[in-house]
Amino acid sequence: VHIIVCVKQVPDPESSPARFVVDEQARRVEPRGVPPVLNPFDENALEAALRMKDVHGDGAAVTILTLGHKLSTNLMLKTLGAGGDRLVRIEDDAFAQGQLDVYATCLAIAAAVRKIGPYDLILVGEQAADSNDRQAGVGMAHVLGIPVVTMASNLELRDGALWADRRLANRRERVKCPLPAVVAVSSDGAGLRYPSLVQLKAARSKPAQIWNAQDIGFDAQSSDRRLALRRIYAPRPQQRDCVMIGAESGEQAGRMLAAKLREDGVL
Amino acid sequence: MGNVTSAVLVLIERCGKGGFEPLSLQCLELGRRVAGELGAKLTATLLGREVRSAAEELRHYGVDGVGVAEHPALDAYNPEAWAAALLRVIHQLQPRLVLMGDTPTAADLAPRVAFALGAGLVTDCVNIEVDAGEPLFTKPIFSGNAMAVYASSTGVTLATLRSGSDDAAARREQAAGDITEVEVEIRPGQAPVECVESIWEEEDGVSLGQAAVVVSGGRGIGGAEGFALLSALARILGGAVGASKPAVDCGWITPAAQVGQTGTVVAPSLYIAVGISGAMQHLSGMLASKVIVAINKSPDAPIFGIADYGVTGKYEEVIPAFTDAIAQWRA
Repeated sequence: VHIIVCVKQVPDPESSPARFVVDEQARRVEPRGVPPVLNPFDENALEAALRMKDVHGDGAAVTILTLGHKLSTNLMLKTLGAGGDRLVRIEDDAFAQGQLDVYATCLAIAAAVRKIGPYDLILVGEQAADSNDRQAGVGMAHVLGIPVVTMASNLELRDGALWADRRLANRRERVKCPLPAVVAVSSDGAGLRYPSLVQLKAARSKPAQIWNAQDIGFDAQSSDRRLALRRIYAPRPQQRDCVMIGAESGEQAGRMLAAKLREDGVL
Repeated sequence: MGNVTSAVLVLIERCGKGGFEPLSLQCLELGRRVAGELGAKLTATLLGREVRSAAEELRHYGVDGVGVAEHPALDAYNPEAWAAALLRVIHQLQPRLVLMGDTPTAADLAPRVAFALGAGLVTDCVNIEVDAGEPLFTKPIFSGNAMAVYASSTGVTLATLRSGSDDAAARREQAAGDITEVEVEIRPGQAPVECVESIWEEEDGVSLGQAAVVVSGGRGIGGAEGFALLSALARILGGAVGASKPAVDCGWITPAAQVGQTGTVVAPSLYIAVGISGAMQHLSGMLASKVIVAINKSPDAPIFGIADYGVTGKYEEVIPAFTDAIAQWRA
């Protein structure tokens, strides 16, 4: 079986707000000194693929597919070190921040997938931490004309089909889905395993392809977009007047806090 | 589309107890404002097995009409059946905008319907305003470190609304608007994805997204034991336990408890942040909370800037005393 995992490089969401410089003129966010990380949601997708590989061994090949701009080689090596077999890295100015909307992104990834060739599963994270979009999995399935399972966990390949739990509003379903399919992996799962130093070193000799937009036949100019970014601004979280509870000890502060909240009708 | 009867359509979800999902009513409130500015009608829609009486009730919420689609397959959320039904409703009512709450259901449903229609979709909106007759959609990006305003170029556009972005529409004595029935045809076995087993989940305590009180811990908690103190407090308040991403990454608590832009977005009446300094990623996911209490060792923690009440001190001392005090007067 061939599993393609889509991973996105994003600036570390946990970095201090001061490091995200919002350029209203250029309509872009410039992360200053923010380390790039794998989209945390995609780490779950990669881990899900590696768990299937744990079961199927060499019977399962995992291709890491990433598309972006100014990608970090070390970060991509981490995905191979963790257990990916091959890296397809698509880098182009056309994929710089703000160039594509989510629909055009789906078209570009679908073009890359077609170029990669036969596959059984495409795994994606539930959401992108940078664009805060939660539709690429369904979108890619639509563009590729194959079924999709969202909010999925406990993936299993058996009898030529995918079996997975999908989480719905108030229940969980075990579903069976024909291959090939797209799976948006739930973020409830365990995070990505840590590659060892030996694995990281070995990752350097794993096959890696570097393509650009033209290589995958994606024309950013003529590609449709459905959303246009009109404006961007720095959030101004409403500052609240914080009533500080001063006390002699922690215990006293706890009691005073309870009393104050009760007095103010909060509790 | 774009005709005089162009409408803003709001999908109304119902909660387990049978009432309307509070977030759906917030969508209705926003929908009314947007419809007014667009000169469009406000139509609500209900999907389900039997939704006639719920539709009657919805007529008390200031709508111009209610579209209902009834089918046994729509009883509980089912991705393929609901997408087919909502598409039928949209085809029949021809709305310009389709709004729904940013719920687990919408996370699956909205993109299915948007891509099937070739429509733009903006997820996790905090506001929609109308500028020169054009709806503009505001949402947080980069983990809440920036706000983006999007326009859509498609004839119909879908948007999901974040909880707490608006007040809930209020019930009125007067009922108004017609109920339109939409025929849906759902053939079993039509969908490629087949459900082999359905497990109804017993709510394990209070769900994080719905809880009226959330007690969250961060890196400052220092270990899994600390979360036991927070659980005890949450239990007594009838609330849920949350966490910041660093605490989850340390393995002190399940990833499902993560509050923030990359976890669950919450807007409870009371949010108690313990040992959380306040990365934007986290703040962005809880800022809409009505009252925020911060307990932190460091007086400089940014969380105090957005809190209503603050305690500088060791949570190991503060929390048990706080919990005991509440337990005493509740007893």
